[in-house]
Amino acid sequence: MSMNEEKKIQETKLPAIPLRNSLLYPNLTIPISVGRADSQAAIEAALASEDKLVGIFAQRDATVESPKIEDLYSIGSVGVIRRMHRHENMIHMMVQGVQRIERIDIVQRSPYISLKVRYLPDPDDSGSEIEALQRSMLELGHKVLALSAFEIGLDLDKLISGLRLPIHQAYVLASLLSIDISKHQALLSAQTQHQALELIIEYLNHEVQILELQTKIASTTQSKMDKQQREFLLRQQLRTIQEELGESSPEQADVVELRKKSEEADIPDFVVKEVEKELARLERMSAASPDYQLTRTHLDLVIELPWNKSTQDVYDLDHSRKTLDHDHFDLEDVKERIVEHLAVMKLNPEAKSPIICFVGPPGVGKTSLGQSISRALGRKFERMSLGGLHDEAELRGHRRTYIGAMPGRIIEAIHRVGVNNPLLMLDEVDKLGRDFRGDPAAALMEILDPEQNSEFHDNYLDLPFDLSDVFFIVTANTLDTIPTPLLDRLEVIHLSGYSDEEKKEIAIRYLIDRNVKESGLSLEQLTIPDETLYSIIHKYTRESGVRQLERTIGKLARKIAMRVAQGNQEKVTIKKEDLIDLLGPPKFTMEEARESLPPGVAAGLAWTQVGGVVIYVESALLPEGKELMLTGQLGDIMQESAKAAQSYLWSHADQLQLNKDKISKSGVHIHVPAGATPKDGPSAGVTMVTSLASLYLNSAARLDTAMTGEITLTGLVLPVGGIKEKVLAAHRAGIYRVILPKSNENDLRDLPKHVLDKMKFVFAERVEEVLAQAIPTVQILNKVA
Amino acid sequence: MINKELSEIVEQLFGDSSEPILKSNWHPRADIYRYRKGWLIKLELAGVRQDDIEVNVSGTILKIEGKRRDLVAKDASEAYKMEISYNRFERVIELPEKLEDAKIVMDFNQGMLLIHLHCKK
Repeated sequence: MSMNEEKKIQETKLPAIPLRNSLLYPNLTIPISVGRADSQAAIEAALASEDKLVGIFAQRDATVESPKIEDLYSIGSVGVIRRMHRHENMIHMMVQGVQRIERIDIVQRSPYISLKVRYLPDPDDSGSEIEALQRSMLELGHKVLALSAFEIGLDLDKLISGLRLPIHQAYVLASLLSIDISKHQALLSAQTQHQALELIIEYLNHEVQILELQTKIASTTQSKMDKQQREFLLRQQLRTIQEELGESSPEQADVVELRKKSEEADIPDFVVKEVEKELARLERMSAASPDYQLTRTHLDLVIELPWNKSTQDVYDLDHSRKTLDHDHFDLEDVKERIVEHLAVMKLNPEAKSPIICFVGPPGVGKTSLGQSISRALGRKFERMSLGGLHDEAELRGHRRTYIGAMPGRIIEAIHRVGVNNPLLMLDEVDKLGRDFRGDPAAALMEILDPEQNSEFHDNYLDLPFDLSDVFFIVTANTLDTIPTPLLDRLEVIHLSGYSDEEKKEIAIRYLIDRNVKESGLSLEQLTIPDETLYSIIHKYTRESGVRQLERTIGKLARKIAMRVAQGNQEKVTIKKEDLIDLLGPPKFTMEEARESLPPGVAAGLAWTQVGGVVIYVESALLPEGKELMLTGQLGDIMQESAKAAQSYLWSHADQLQLNKDKISKSGVHIHVPAGATPKDGPSAGVTMVTSLASLYLNSAARLDTAMTGEITLTGLVLPVGGIKEKVLAAHRAGIYRVILPKSNENDLRDLPKHVLDKMKFVFAERVEEVLAQAIPTVQILNKVA
Repeated sequence: MINKELSEIVEQLFGDSSEPILKSNWHPRADIYRYRKGWLIKLELAGVRQDDIEVNVSGTILKIEGKRRDLVAKDASEAYKMEISYNRFERVIELPEKLEDAKIVMDFNQGMLLIHLHCKK
């Protein structure tokens, strides 16, 4: 039987296996590994035959695990098994493609697939067009091999030299491309050479495009690198040329300037080392590098900081006292304590600077007192507000690695002042915030601790700076919100509110002067008599400080300035009656004492942030069966003292000659105006007792008497705080008789003399004494056993 | 991209063969002897039936092709390893003289095919 005859066999039976993701081209050998039982059975059948032929068909969908015959393409190849061996349940083999075949019938599906196939003859269409297509195919093939980084010395010409038909060459090229199985299948199924060549040219073209794009991407990256290197080289050359010419580059000019500055500056050794290191770094850097500016600014700061620069303190106690007196009226004890501190500092210059904390209501002159101290001491003054500060980095700086890093406020302030011993005022320390960025109060502890702050570390500066010579003064409105560990480091000085008298003095000495001048008038043109000032203080302001007062005086001065400018008047004296015209109706009236008190009303004294106030506790009887009713935004403690007052009266009814029935049967309503202001604290106890007793006795309390004090159930009167402010409030309201707890007697020393002179004080240890003094008609029997 | 694995195998299998490396047939090894009056070509063709061998001459080229059928294989066995190539083979040998007039005598002995070419000169 000759070969040609054999080729004429058109149809035959073959065992067949499916292939996932690949197929077999005629003339090409591929490795195939088979694991599935039916495929292995097919291989067995093929190997048992004398010519070792097996049909190979590609799966349409690679994800199908056990493909049926219908899942396979109908055109495949027949291959000869050249080598095989078994290994761990798998059959590995090399299969060489012989010819394309087409499935025409199914012989069996199991135990292995066997098909009736038809051999597809190689297409033999030819002509010049085929030749042209073949040439461009080979050209593209060479291009692909040249472009791909794939180097096994694959010689395309040698590879295809034995292949007569262009379509066979196309198969070889296709086998070298990793393309979709569907594309491979399309090529294998091509009916004519023409069709096959067009397909392979399309595939190759696509491959060339991708490879070219890859090469382009790679070379773009390369050229970017080249550009940077070129720039660096040019810069190097520029530097050399400039050196030759005796010129220096801008960077070097910077470095030279900084070095000169650092040599001139008085800098401790450990800083010099750091500066030298940084300068050396800077020299090597290009000005365009982002690090350059960063390093430069940092160096600027390091060199400019006053490491060893300080001002000479003036320890002239007389001068200091005079300065303080000149700037502030009164505040006697505060000034006293400041001068004491100065005396200590004079005697022992090595002593740590105290850290003073001024606490008091707004507008009492805490900040200006700080300024005044700095003048008295001859120190430079710098202040910063800590109100609302919630980032630790604000105080301690950001690390230099952050973009836009800055030193903290402390170092910044020292830098600004230019000396290392300024008076640094930290305002509103009670309003420090705190959140996830850290707790600035904790950072403040390090800054304010004389034991620690000699080595203060700012994150940006990154060098320890000595803050121990800095005179820190902090201010706060209240001590309640300052963390205890921080408070512990502070020397607290309380500044309480000013009395009317003091306000008047301050107005005459400072405020009128300043505001008149500001509005462009001369002092002769505007006169404000004392009486008018009192009226302003009472009816147009309500504060413990003098800010509102100053604003109001400023307003008056401007109105008068307008009149003068219009040419209406030359000289003005503002009378009390003119105020309504100039400032409008009085803003506050409540402060004044009531004209009369009905039974059930008593005057109490309360302390608020803005100073003391007079409040009237009112009570009224309710129908039988109602319980105690409390209104006026009273806090828990105040409600409790109301209940204590009622219980006390019930239990002492006989002694006080009260009608027990009245107390037990009728309810009581206690109201404390003004209803919109929240109130709390135990100090209204005596006022409530008085109010209730007056109600039950149906006898009015004394109009000229106000009172304060905490009570107990058994009738003791306990001491309370804020006596100075409370007495001032009574004085201001025109109530000149005040009942106070006996234990508070000593607090009166804080009050100005002119107030004390006018006031009459009654000190009580027991509630009965209070009632006897407050309600004229009360008759107290001796204590009933 | 290039299917690297496949290409490597192609290279490995056929890399040092002088024959065209891509052909669907296998190539038997050959020894060639030169005589004063002709050539002896010895081919390793064990297991090939003499009927299945065809020798052709054209110009200076001698072409031997044929087919090795596996006659030993039996259904009951299970193939474990296979290294011998079966089915069609082909060998093209070019000699430095014209062979068309040569007399060809073939001898098949113990699996070796001996082809005697007696050239008239």
